[in-house]
Amino acid sequence: MKAAKSVVEIWQWGGPSQLETFDPKPNASRDYNGGLKSIPTNVPGMEIHEWWPELAKCANLYSVIRTMTHTQFGHESAAYLMQTGRLPGGGEVCPAIGAVVSLAKKKGYSGDLPPFVILTRAKGRFSEVGFLGDEAAPLVTGGRPNSARFAVDGIVPPEGITPAISQERFDLLAQLDGWRPKGGGNAARAEEFDKAGVEARRISEGDAAKVFDLSLESAELRDRYGRTEIGQSLLAARRLVEYGVPYVTVNVSGWDSHKRHFETMKRRSNETDKAVAAFLTDLSERKLLDSTVVWMSGEFGRTPKVGWEAPWNGGRGHYARCFSALVAGGGFKGGCVVGESDDTASKPVSRPVAPQDFLGSIYELCGVDPDGPLPNAKGKKMTVLPPQSEAGRLREIYAEKA
Amino acid sequence: MQVNIPRRAFLVGSAAFAAWPRGLFADAPASIATAWENQDGTATDSVMVRRVHLDLAGRIPTKDEAQAYVSSAAADKLPRLVDRLLGSPEFADYWAMRFCDILRVKSEFPINLWPNAVYVYHARIRKFVEENEPWDEFGRELLTSQGSDFRDAEVNFFRATDKRTPEGWAEAVAQTFLGIPPAGLPPERRAAMAKRLESLRIKNTREWKEEIVFAEGSDSRAELCDEVFGECRAEVEAAFRTLVRRWIFGPDANAGAKGARMGLKDVLREIVLSGEYARGSVTGGFPARRLDAEVLDDVICTLSDAKRDYQSPAPEPFTFLPKERHTVCIEDGSISNGFLTLFGRPARDTGLQGERSSDVTAKQRLYLFNSGRLHGFLGRVVLPGGWKDNPLSRLPLPKRIDDIYWRVLSREPTADERKHVMGLWNRRGGGKKGSKAKPYDLLRDLVWCLFNTKEFLFRI
Repeated sequence: MKAAKSVVEIWQWGGPSQLETFDPKPNASRDYNGGLKSIPTNVPGMEIHEWWPELAKCANLYSVIRTMTHTQFGHESAAYLMQTGRLPGGGEVCPAIGAVVSLAKKKGYSGDLPPFVILTRAKGRFSEVGFLGDEAAPLVTGGRPNSARFAVDGIVPPEGITPAISQERFDLLAQLDGWRPKGGGNAARAEEFDKAGVEARRISEGDAAKVFDLSLESAELRDRYGRTEIGQSLLAARRLVEYGVPYVTVNVSGWDSHKRHFETMKRRSNETDKAVAAFLTDLSERKLLDSTVVWMSGEFGRTPKVGWEAPWNGGRGHYARCFSALVAGGGFKGGCVVGESDDTASKPVSRPVAPQDFLGSIYELCGVDPDGPLPNAKGKKMTVLPPQSEAGRLREIYAEKA
Repeated sequence: MQVNIPRRAFLVGSAAFAAWPRGLFADAPASIATAWENQDGTATDSVMVRRVHLDLAGRIPTKDEAQAYVSSAAADKLPRLVDRLLGSPEFADYWAMRFCDILRVKSEFPINLWPNAVYVYHARIRKFVEENEPWDEFGRELLTSQGSDFRDAEVNFFRATDKRTPEGWAEAVAQTFLGIPPAGLPPERRAAMAKRLESLRIKNTREWKEEIVFAEGSDSRAELCDEVFGECRAEVEAAFRTLVRRWIFGPDANAGAKGARMGLKDVLREIVLSGEYARGSVTGGFPARRLDAEVLDDVICTLSDAKRDYQSPAPEPFTFLPKERHTVCIEDGSISNGFLTLFGRPARDTGLQGERSSDVTAKQRLYLFNSGRLHGFLGRVVLPGGWKDNPLSRLPLPKRIDDIYWRVLSREPTADERKHVMGLWNRRGGGKKGSKAKPYDLLRDLVWCLFNTKEFLFRI
């Protein structure tokens, strides 16, 4: 089986509700489904929540897992588990899947951008890099992809700095940067500084900056993705995939809807639905979907029973026992549903999927052995994921047998 | 006369260099007088005033401070400066930050001190720095502490580790006070220390994240302290001196000569007034170090009068730090941003000194070349306080160049440097009739250049 070239992770920070995404329960009471319905998709028998009409039109491109399950109800520890496949503790801060995959694929990648790009902010509450350190550090773009100019800090020169001014600046810098130590550690440090400068200048004057120039895309396509942060981030992600970046993370926050859940969730769903559907369709039309794994999930789901009373006013709390995730491309089949939850999406009835099973499948499709060694500075014997049963991996939805 | 002495023998500070008849062969040694180094290989006054401010106060001197120092003829100007800085609140802030690195002061995973404890523990560590408490006495207080993490700050020593077991605590004690990282700790020594910590317990209260550290049954931590700070006193002292000297001289530094006391200020004073510290960094071998992430942020924000924007995600609702507050003063290692990560701020996960990176990467240089945030600051360095009625804008251009050099690099420009900047001005047609060249643009580009020099980015 041919390994996927790239991964795009759509991380729903905060934990989106399984009921208002891919595991709707139209027959449950209003205390669970808020009186909302499901809609059919273009795959017979597969229904998703009514707030995702665009994704309903292209369900053949992705599969959903309705029985993600673990035991961590706090954001940090749940995110750590969903990103590293391990529970916090044990004296190590393990790297997230993005850092591991990009490091593994670094060898076969020759682009000027780092092999790991995050749009637009880092997760923040734990380090994606873990003990892998600077070598695996992602480029965190910052900036606003939905503004007139997506100013990726550091890569794209600020507005008004023309190539001519830039050249004058570098010429003057060469004249003024006069501290030149002779020999010893300082000379080595100065050389490291100069080399980093040459490399940086090459990157900022090369093609890399163009990857973020979304004005090169047609207005029609940009509209299809939606003129939103997530929409234009995913458009940038597609351009990064074309460029060859092995791992792209799009962090979408705002799913932690303790209070007034339905208002928040509707808004979030609306823009995310449009963006993800356009993204999957675009990848598919460009024949990039087969070589790109796309996954979307949060650290957990949300409490099935709605808290109608104050102060929640229709809120949902953290819930990890049963939640949903989406996978597409890169060797995953489309149009499938994995697992079945009970009447209220409170617990898996069949085929529970642990974070390790989920991550293990993505690793496997990328050609990274989940049981292979994980390099670490301490020289400790570690594997990419903790030892686990292969049986859990999502092989039933692999396009070909692993 | 031909004298064949290997060039290395002329390393400044070497015996051969000292013995060399300077008057006869003034041009023989490698060193020539520059803006950074005197003829004898020692650092110039303008380098020293910047170096001492960076090392002791975590900031660069103001223009006035730098000019006053350079123009002073007083023989004791260095010791006086050192004493002033050691007594300043900025010294306590900066060195508290370094000790919080090695004591792992952070709210969240994997240490999980949580905010209330972070603030009281930081305040306690800052007091140790400010009041020059001897390291061993401070250590004794930490190791024999008990009570609530909110009120008895010292107990957080036992909470600030992700291995809250007798073995984990033994490792923390060995790493902090004996300078032995967990990997190098002999198992029998770990076991012996762990035995002394066996009765230690931590329990929750009904208050969010309040924990009580206490001993159940007989408490043998006093004996542990006698062993560590009594029997192994020399080891503790050497580890402490090594720690401090590595912060100044880099990761290869050793413990140096034995000193009498274990107060941080005493050790630093001795280092900063030594001949070793006075060496130049061009030929003199004084090790340059890239500025700490927090210090670099403060330097840039202070020069451009920019506001900082730090917030803590725990506990909810979020806490926003005052925008004027210096980055060096951030108590909590969990409060961070992309800039600090880019420039190697330690995660405070391990407490190892090497967790802080002072490497220079292409990503950092990309930031310094192109960052939009930094771009917005450049003009504010040219005209601090804004455009309106700024007296600086009435000064002649060469004077404004001098002013920027003093503020950004703590020295005046050399004749060549002035010439280069004016050269660009002339090439742009500056001052000519009909020319669109503006002094402001030139000076903004000058600030960009200076921010991208090694002299700016390194403590040299």
